[in-house]
Amino acid sequence: MLSLPLLKQSIRSNAVMWGSMTGVMTLLCVQFSMLDMTRSLLFTIFYGMMTTILPGIYVLVTANKLLASQVDRGSMAYVLATPTKRSTVTFTQAFYLVNSLIAMFGVQTLAHLATNAAKPIALGEMGYTMLAGDLTSKMIAQVNLSALMVCIALSAVCFMFSGIFSSSKYSIGLSGTFIGVSILANMLAMFGNLGVDGLKNFKYLTICSFYDYQSVLFSGNEWITKLIFPAAIAVAAFTVGELCFSKKDLPL
Amino acid sequence: MIKVNELTHDYGHGRGVFDVSFEVGKGETLGFLGPNGAGKSTTMRHLMGFSKPQKGEVSIGGLDCTAKPSEIMKNVGYLPGEVALPEGLSGRQFIKMMQDMRGVRNDERVRELLERFKLDPSGSVKRMSIGEKRKLAVVTAFMSDPEILLLDEPTSGLDPVMQEEFISFIREEKVKGRTILLSSHIFSEVEALCDRIAIIKDGRLVSTVDAAEIRHGLHNIMTIEFENAGDFTEFGRQELDFALRDRSSLKCSVVVDDEDINRFIRAIRRFRIKSFAEHSVTLEEYFMHFYKNDKHFGGVSYA
Ligand SMILES: Nc1ncnc2c1ncn2[C@@H]1O[C@H](COP(=O)(O)OP(=O)(O)OP(=O)(O)O)[C@@H](O)[C@H]1O
Ligand SMILES: [Mg+2]
Repeated sequence: MLSLPLLKQSIRSNAVMWGSMTGVMTLLCVQFSMLDMTRSLLFTIFYGMMTTILPGIYVLVTANKLLASQVDRGSMAYVLATPTKRSTVTFTQAFYLVNSLIAMFGVQTLAHLATNAAKPIALGEMGYTMLAGDLTSKMIAQVNLSALMVCIALSAVCFMFSGIFSSSKYSIGLSGTFIGVSILANMLAMFGNLGVDGLKNFKYLTICSFYDYQSVLFSGNEWITKLIFPAAIAVAAFTVGELCFSKKDLPL
Repeated sequence: MIKVNELTHDYGHGRGVFDVSFEVGKGETLGFLGPNGAGKSTTMRHLMGFSKPQKGEVSIGGLDCTAKPSEIMKNVGYLPGEVALPEGLSGRQFIKMMQDMRGVRNDERVRELLERFKLDPSGSVKRMSIGEKRKLAVVTAFMSDPEILLLDEPTSGLDPVMQEEFISFIREEKVKGRTILLSSHIFSEVEALCDRIAIIKDGRLVSTVDAAEIRHGLHNIMTIEFENAGDFTEFGRQELDFALRDRSSLKCSVVVDDEDINRFIRAIRRFRIKSFAEHSVTLEEYFMHFYKNDKHFGGVSYA
């Protein structure tokens, strides 16, 4: 099912992109949680936008590189000229994509846990005046889990396009539109939450709505239920991508 | 070993492959010739299981190429027509990756191949010249000593010395009993290596010829110039295979197979002849006429 040499190659060829996105996200997180100027915006700006935008860019580029671009360039021919099943290829690439996201959020979560331990922040300071106490390690872990699940769903949809299309042009085009709409609608919906009522309905346009840090901060349970939907979307999209890639004619 | 049966894949606008059938026996080398866009690479793509036939079957070693490609690949070495190596690797990393994916460690063989083709794999694949990339692909296609080889224009991009080296290399592989399908635009290469030659044009197999037959000259063409018009006319009534009759220059060209040579000489004795020239059709001439659109050439006609 899993091809280790292919996994190694995927890690190697996506290392720069993964490293820079992880680096930027982690640095921003450290900055937002440490600097007095920006601490109050940790959730609205950093967890509200950055944890979907940065991984969104990463999955858009990476998902395309994992399948469609290799078919487009022709280098997939070398992979399939070995005794490797197409399903093994898709499984390995999807495995890489999901685990690279887990690693990305893992690094950023650890960084935030460290800064939060060094310099705790009260929930009230971030605008949640009705809540008592500090931001806990548990909350940080939960918020990141919620964001991770949504990013996995985003990655699965991009992966699906990458599996369906044999040319980067279409794969990137559709994935880009999808990621763009998802992130934009999420931002508009966020302004809706902040008071612009007319924008509230945008939350129905985006998978990112299943990412619910407010529920975590309020110690609610909705965020857990909301994990199910992106998980289901991810499974469905990965499956469709897998099937299309395994069945289609490859112009290699 | 390799079997293509009525393979059809229509890409529209008359492009694709249509009803292509041929077989390559164990230990045999089949040359695959044809103009650009004839369908050589397309046929190979079907053999590799990249594309599925719309009609017909392709199989290697008795296994269906669309159903069991990964099974088949254990015994197949493939050299793609276009070299597009994976990104971000050095030559050595690429070789290592292909070794791991094939599940064979054969460093001795790799070293031997690298030496033979004078390739230094230490640099980044991206910066390699076309010929170096091709050599790298050659090394990875042959390093696991596969039984069956699908080679799509293997020498394109190689310099003349390396082309020769490659030909002598394939000769040695043939001795080891490899089954080879080789597409090429280089006649000398095909002539030197192939046991049989299949010619494809506009997606259809035009003819399959024995290479031995071609090496002896397919046919002889006799060009005779007569002294007078009377003889020219009279000679034209003979039962011979005329390729050309030009009254103004009083020249005739006649296609003569080896077994008919005596009959031809008897026929020609009675006439007064000004000049006589003979040449045999080479492989190159034979194919050139398929490449260009001649309908009749050297006594071989096709519809
Ligand atoms: N996936 C595809 N979609 C549409 N047309 C295709 C596809 N694959 C091949 N063709 C067409 O089929 C024809 C045969 O192409 P093929 O690559 O097999 O030619 P070839 O014999 O290898 O030529 P060359 O000598 O130039 O390598 C071409 O006209 C090509 O445009
Ligand atoms: Mg070709």
